[in-house]
Amino acid sequence: MSAALRAELFKQRSTRASLGLFATMIVLILFVVLLHGLGVDAGNFDTASKQISVLFGWGEFLAALFAGLLGAMSITGEIRHGTIRPTLLVNPRRQKVVLAKVWASMLIAIGFGLAAGAVAAGVGTVALESRGIDVLVGAGDYALLILGSAAAAALWAAIGVGIGSLVRNQVPALVGIVVWFLFVENLLVGDLAGVGELGRLLPAAAGKAISGQDPETLLAPGFALALLALYAVVAALVGARAASRRDVA
Amino acid sequence: MSADGGAESLLDEDSARTPAPRALPRQAVVTVERLTKRYGEIVAVDDISFSLEAGTVTGFLGPNGAGKSTTLRVLLGLAEPTKGEALVFNQRYRELEQPFRRIGAVLESNDFDPGRSGRDHLRALAIAAEIPRSRVEEVLELVELAGDAHRKVRTYSLGMRQRLGLAAALLGDPELLVLDEPANGLDPVGVHWLRRFLRDFAGAGRTVLVSSHLLAEVAQAVDRVLIINSGRIVVAAPLDELTRGGQTLEEVYLDLITGSAS
Ligand SMILES: Nc1ncnc2c1ncn2[C@@H]1O[C@H](COP(=O)(O)OP(=O)(O)OP(=O)(O)O)[C@@H](O)[C@H]1O
Ligand SMILES: [Mg+2]
Repeated sequence: MSAALRAELFKQRSTRASLGLFATMIVLILFVVLLHGLGVDAGNFDTASKQISVLFGWGEFLAALFAGLLGAMSITGEIRHGTIRPTLLVNPRRQKVVLAKVWASMLIAIGFGLAAGAVAAGVGTVALESRGIDVLVGAGDYALLILGSAAAAALWAAIGVGIGSLVRNQVPALVGIVVWFLFVENLLVGDLAGVGELGRLLPAAAGKAISGQDPETLLAPGFALALLALYAVVAALVGARAASRRDVA
Repeated sequence: MSADGGAESLLDEDSARTPAPRALPRQAVVTVERLTKRYGEIVAVDDISFSLEAGTVTGFLGPNGAGKSTTLRVLLGLAEPTKGEALVFNQRYRELEQPFRRIGAVLESNDFDPGRSGRDHLRALAIAAEIPRSRVEEVLELVELAGDAHRKVRTYSLGMRQRLGLAAALLGDPELLVLDEPANGLDPVGVHWLRRFLRDFAGAGRTVLVSSHLLAEVAQAVDRVLIINSGRIVVAAPLDELTRGGQTLEEVYLDLITGSAS
């Protein structure tokens, strides 16, 4: 492990920011999954696919979103607090610094994704069973939900670092990621006619597809994984390049 | 170690005014050649050249907006020159191997994550620079912050932040120290401490470039003066040469900048 990567992991460990992000994510998952699991009409849970997209998929969705925020914060937080200056004085190879942030954020995001997928699966199952609804999701689906959630989160963490390096300003970067997840893609994929075919190629939709959500509309998991990995690589490289060219004020 | 060990004789005020004989041969530690830095229409630094020799303390002076911080940012690889170049140890900062072991710098007094402890701030940098953990404790002792190192930086006073920044710059046991207004917010005891520290540091054959607005304080710590105004160097001279006519540094400075006394 490179010194730069160890330093990034230590930075993440030595403040409460990522822990706070993690706790917020878990609380949101509990809230959303319980709300849907207990509140949505039983008719919406009559196939495995519906159970995944209405209920269990929330784990992956929120893990990917929070991993994106985590990745973006790893760089915008340093710019905001000014620690980017000492960081770059120690290691003026900025591409290496950005790539170390990518790897560190990805590693932590894997933890986010596994936990999110497992919590959503566990709580969702309990919620359905408490209402006497048959859980139609099999062991393979659970595994795909949890591992897919980890993969989507890891790749979204890399995308987040790229966005953070490009945008630099913390609030717009984080708000941009949230708006993208909650509004932009939903509108493009869901509501606006004619964009649906392209919409499933977008990164949040690809993240959902990795964990096996909506197989009728979204991509196959393997293809989605490759596509999101491509997004992640491009975002990380564009971010690293932007960081190495621009002045640090 | 060398900063407090070998330089004992410099610890009293009087000897601090007469630089001790330097052990090292004089070499250019910093070379700035026809450096220009523009921000759009603004010419922050306008075709300046200067160099620093090992073992000297140079005061970098000039009014607000003169271009001091910009020069230091370019020198340290944080900003790219528009024209010309700024070299440290004959290389661009961004091309140096392990620059942190040769150059220590503080550019802003508050470059910390408020939610991280002082010690962890230093540890993160030490890990990145592959500097042993014991060195973190050494520099904490050196800046007299060991007792507060476990606290979050959020709870630090301005003076404590200044000292933590200095501790970070000293982690790599550097040969060159670059400080942008390190005395801001320090109480008289702190300023006195800093002055002595800089003298000792240079007494051990190392080099300091320090910008400041506190002219009276600077005058007691530096042996060379570099004055910049509107992006141009207006004076580069030994302090005693400038004050030979009996004027204080402050008087010389005000004459140059405002031209009021002429
Ligand atoms: N990132 C930037 N973008 C645009 N203009 C800048 C930037 N940084 C500095 N400047 C401009 O460059 C000029 C020099 O600024 P600089 O910060 O170098 O001055 P300074 O000598 O450090 O002043 P002070 O004593 O107030 O710290 C100023 O006119 C400033 O407005
Ligand atoms: Mg300045």
